[in-house]
Amino acid sequence: MAEDLVLDTAIRDWVLIPLSVVMVLIGVLRYFVSKLMRSSQLPDAKALKEGQVIIRARNLKSGANFIPSKSFRARRVYFTNEENGLLYVPKDQAQNAQAQMFSDPNMAMDMMKKNLSMLIPQSLTFAWVNFFFSGFVAAKIPFPLTQRFRAMLQNGIDLSTVDVSYVSSRSWYFLNLFGLRGLFSLILGEENAMDDTQRMMQMGGFGFDAARSLAVEKDSLDIIQHDWALPKMEQRAEEVLRKLLR
Amino acid sequence: MVGAAEEAQLNRLETQVDNGGGGAWEYLCHVRKLKARRPDKVLKHGLSILNNAKARSNLGAEEWTLYEQVAIAAMDCQRLDIAKDCISVLSKKFPGSTRVGRLEGMLFEASGAWADAERAYERLLQDSPHDQVIQKRKIAMAKALGNIAAAVEYLNKYLEIFMADQDAWRELAEIYVSLQMYKQAAFCYEELILCQPTDPLYHLAYAEVLYTMGGLENLQTAKKYYASAINFTGGKNTRALYGLCLCSSAINQITKGRNKEDKESPDLQSLVAEALVKDYKKKAPAKLPLVTNTLKSMKLIS
Repeated sequence: MAEDLVLDTAIRDWVLIPLSVVMVLIGVLRYFVSKLMRSSQLPDAKALKEGQVIIRARNLKSGANFIPSKSFRARRVYFTNEENGLLYVPKDQAQNAQAQMFSDPNMAMDMMKKNLSMLIPQSLTFAWVNFFFSGFVAAKIPFPLTQRFRAMLQNGIDLSTVDVSYVSSRSWYFLNLFGLRGLFSLILGEENAMDDTQRMMQMGGFGFDAARSLAVEKDSLDIIQHDWALPKMEQRAEEVLRKLLR
Repeated sequence: MVGAAEEAQLNRLETQVDNGGGGAWEYLCHVRKLKARRPDKVLKHGLSILNNAKARSNLGAEEWTLYEQVAIAAMDCQRLDIAKDCISVLSKKFPGSTRVGRLEGMLFEASGAWADAERAYERLLQDSPHDQVIQKRKIAMAKALGNIAAAVEYLNKYLEIFMADQDAWRELAEIYVSLQMYKQAAFCYEELILCQPTDPLYHLAYAEVLYTMGGLENLQTAKKYYASAINFTGGKNTRALYGLCLCSSAINQITKGRNKEDKESPDLQSLVAEALVKDYKKKAPAKLPLVTNTLKSMKLIS
């Protein structure tokens, strides 16, 4: 490995630059396609209400000591009673929640759209890169790196003797795929730059399980000990006034 | 609610813009962000941007937000012609949009065409039944027409879903107070206290409702809430001080001659009276004799 590899300038002109340009263009295109396909879904009343109930229950939990205990108890019963309490979810319904989510065609459709808009172009570009540009060195970075970077930079070349600072074309594709987020946020605006890494993460935990968080709130409301803070306030007010009058 | 620092910044920007120092767009953004209501200024500076084609195109997509802002400001100032122009521009750009439809409804309202406004809102609600702003407009309209019962009904319906909406609770509380339905008002104020446990104004309002309801238990509770309002304001709220005086004198009257042992914190009332006297001595010495006489008649100072 004494002498350097000489890279043809044609590689720069026909691989490196086109690849980057294509990646950017695909990112932009995908943004517009997903914008077109995004259905503006109306939030349904139940989900809205559940969110609000949770906020209100949390408020009740954190502010419980500021209202008289009679009022607190009335509210707690309102939230947690087992007949029609807001936070109470019947057993059978709780189990169905997950299934319901899947059976809801709108939601499934939406998810599919999201995934398709991500998967199709990605697999197409990957196939394209693989087909045309696989297995050769496309660029060299101007500083040395340790062996550990080999997997990152020389994907597709199984040569252990090539210096690590050379980047294979397939790795260049991956670097672009994950590294263009900053550029997209410049082109498309801050919040629009949803890069692939994020999307992949989102795929994992979609939707939130309303029934479960309702149950959690219910339990924590149930165990609250009400300790009215106001009687102490009189003493504190006294202190405040004493200080004021001094 | 606007924080003091933010308001100071807003005022600074306003004087800067008023004196021709530029930054009109920043000012307008600020107004929008803080939801401040300064329609005259917004109308003036917003129009100056909208009438300047170059400045307008510099805004890019924000241009339409500005149109909306100016339209609402114009309605506030009863410049319905301007509002109409803005809205027609918007509806040309976004045909069939709910947000523009809302503005049209508001224009009907501003020009007093209540039936038309009602119809417009109903139509919009059919498309998006959970639009908070439209529901609030309907409530406001019912209130403006003096149809308080309908306003209460709408508000209750609204709060059934959006039960974490503080402003709605406050509105409902105030309406209930105006209808002398104190029990319901007290419930609303409790809800507000839960949302903002350290806001002295809610404590004060709750105490006032309790005091108005009367009865020993309520009075004692009211006194506690007055005390907490004093605590949170550092004794600077005159209304809370007076409230506490009234409460303790009322309690004293009820418990007079009865069991003396649970007579709580006699210190507090005299302290409050003293604080009041001191306050008046400093800020309004002319009214001082009046205050001392009143307090004397309540047997709070000697």
